[in-house]
Amino acid sequence: MLQNVIIGQYYPASSPLHRMDSRSKLIAAFFYLFIVFLANNWITYGLLIAFTAVTISASKVPLRYLYKGLKPILILVVFTMLLHIFLTKEGDVLYKAGWFEIYEGGIIQGIFIAMRLLLLVLMTSLLTLTTTPIDITDGLEHLLGPLKKWKLPVHEFALMMSISLRFIPTLLQETEKIMKAQMARGADFTSGPIKERAKAFVPLLVPLFVSSFKRAEELALAMEARGYRGGEGRTRLRALQWHSRDTFALVLLISLTLSLFLLRS
Amino acid sequence: MEISIKQLEHRYMQGTPFERRALHDVNLQIPDETFLALIGHTGSGKSTLIQHLNGLLKPSAGSIKMGNTILEAGGKKQDLKPLRKKAGIVFQYPEHQLFEETVEKDIMFGPRNFGMSEEEAKRTASNVIEMVGLPQTVLSKSPFDLSGGQMRRVAIAGVLAMNPEVLILDEPTAGLDPSGRVEIMELFYELHQKNKLTTVLVTHSMEDASKYADEIAVMHKGELYLHGKPNEIFNERKALQEAGLDVPETVQFLLKWNEKSGQDLSLSAFTIEELAKSLGQALKKRGS
Ligand SMILES: Nc1ncnc2c1ncn2[C@@H]1O[C@H](COP(=O)(O)OP(=O)(O)OP(=O)(O)O)[C@@H](O)[C@H]1O
Ligand SMILES: [Mg+2]
Repeated sequence: MLQNVIIGQYYPASSPLHRMDSRSKLIAAFFYLFIVFLANNWITYGLLIAFTAVTISASKVPLRYLYKGLKPILILVVFTMLLHIFLTKEGDVLYKAGWFEIYEGGIIQGIFIAMRLLLLVLMTSLLTLTTTPIDITDGLEHLLGPLKKWKLPVHEFALMMSISLRFIPTLLQETEKIMKAQMARGADFTSGPIKERAKAFVPLLVPLFVSSFKRAEELALAMEARGYRGGEGRTRLRALQWHSRDTFALVLLISLTLSLFLLRS
Repeated sequence: MEISIKQLEHRYMQGTPFERRALHDVNLQIPDETFLALIGHTGSGKSTLIQHLNGLLKPSAGSIKMGNTILEAGGKKQDLKPLRKKAGIVFQYPEHQLFEETVEKDIMFGPRNFGMSEEEAKRTASNVIEMVGLPQTVLSKSPFDLSGGQMRRVAIAGVLAMNPEVLILDEPTAGLDPSGRVEIMELFYELHQKNKLTTVLVTHSMEDASKYADEIAVMHKGELYLHGKPNEIFNERKALQEAGLDVPETVQFLLKWNEKSGQDLSLSAFTIEELAKSLGQALKKRGS
């Protein structure tokens, strides 16, 4: 039922991307968010697509799997594309029927925007697909470490994040379980008018909240019992390690950025 | 209701790297009014199998026939409510499904969904709460103020209130105290006989299986491994051990007894009473 949500789901495999340090992947993904906006013509978009395609093939995540995770977002992409196609009034008129006109500029804009969205989503899902949640938060904690000087609770944030990530699958499982139990008692989550359907979720949400609170309490207790008292002086079982491939990846990204600057119009 | 399972296969998360075959080529006929115990090592696919019986899981291949309803792989979407009304499932740890403000409302949830009137549902609630051994005063309490064992009973009452023809029980007594266990099992057995139900009991307890079941089915690694009458199944000690199980303690005791005393007592004593009787007879024979 809830099997095609892949955000925050790690795809186990052994690929160069999986083996990269989570810090370099985080930096790269963050960087990528910005350079996507540099592209503004066919060549630069082509370059970005090529780069993304190479990254995807290096990740060894099957396309079919990636596509499944993208599906919910595709609607948004198509919607934005159509919006741009209909609302942009630049370039030659390609089609005209009464007040309804489609311009060449609109088509191009639509394609570019859709591409931009797709590229962004693809790269960020690659990050979570190839990096375990624990590694992501470890990396974040490292990268944000300097902010501790200003009394920002970086460690606590990282911990909160890793706990939430850790419990996403558990929560999904639990949801599915309770849904089934209520369906067995005649609850109907999939049909009927909106108002009825919203009401149908009460039997699902109440037990879910109850068990989440209970679980949070138990977790806090278990952590305290094992002597957890914050990040101060805490060492790691698995320390992050920066390799030459991480440097290489960042150099590659910087060259991509430079090329984008040179080729954009 | 007659249940007939043919070449059932189920894969979780089909089409993802996490795909996992949980059931493979399961063929099982359960005649009307049978009490079937489904046993098997943890992870052998028992829960997966029973969730097919009211359409909560769809078969990846094969088919299930529940009375007149047929559920098959790739079959058309159908309204499953009538089937779900007839086949009640008590899930593993059913206390997690409670959600209403009061116990009464929670028990009424199922009956109301299946179209029972408010008053009738209320009457049913007060009937079933007695059945599961709780006082009427509990009805007005919040289910979250009860103890774990009481919550379990309320959840069971919620399923019994639907008055199902097929009762599917997934380890209903796991985690209960010993006397609670016996009480609940006796309740199910009484209902089974009185209402002529078809009952499928998933259990880890060989003792319960031998005491109540007409037939036993053993699951192993997602396949139906053994199926037969209790005395047939419990003669296959090797096969049971292969599947990570063992014969009931009474049979284990008899095996040891025969070994130590050189006697040759019949191994078909599955309950304490039967064991005591057969030992008593053996001792009397030796005495005379
Ligand atoms: N929702 C699910 N998603 C993916 N895999 C699952 C899911 N539920 C069960 N499985 C897998 O299917 C297999 C069979 O599980 P199932 O719950 O049917 O076992 P079981 O016999 O009921 O075990 P237990 O005695 O522990 O309850 C297991 O290997 C389990 O990991
Ligand atoms: Mg189970």
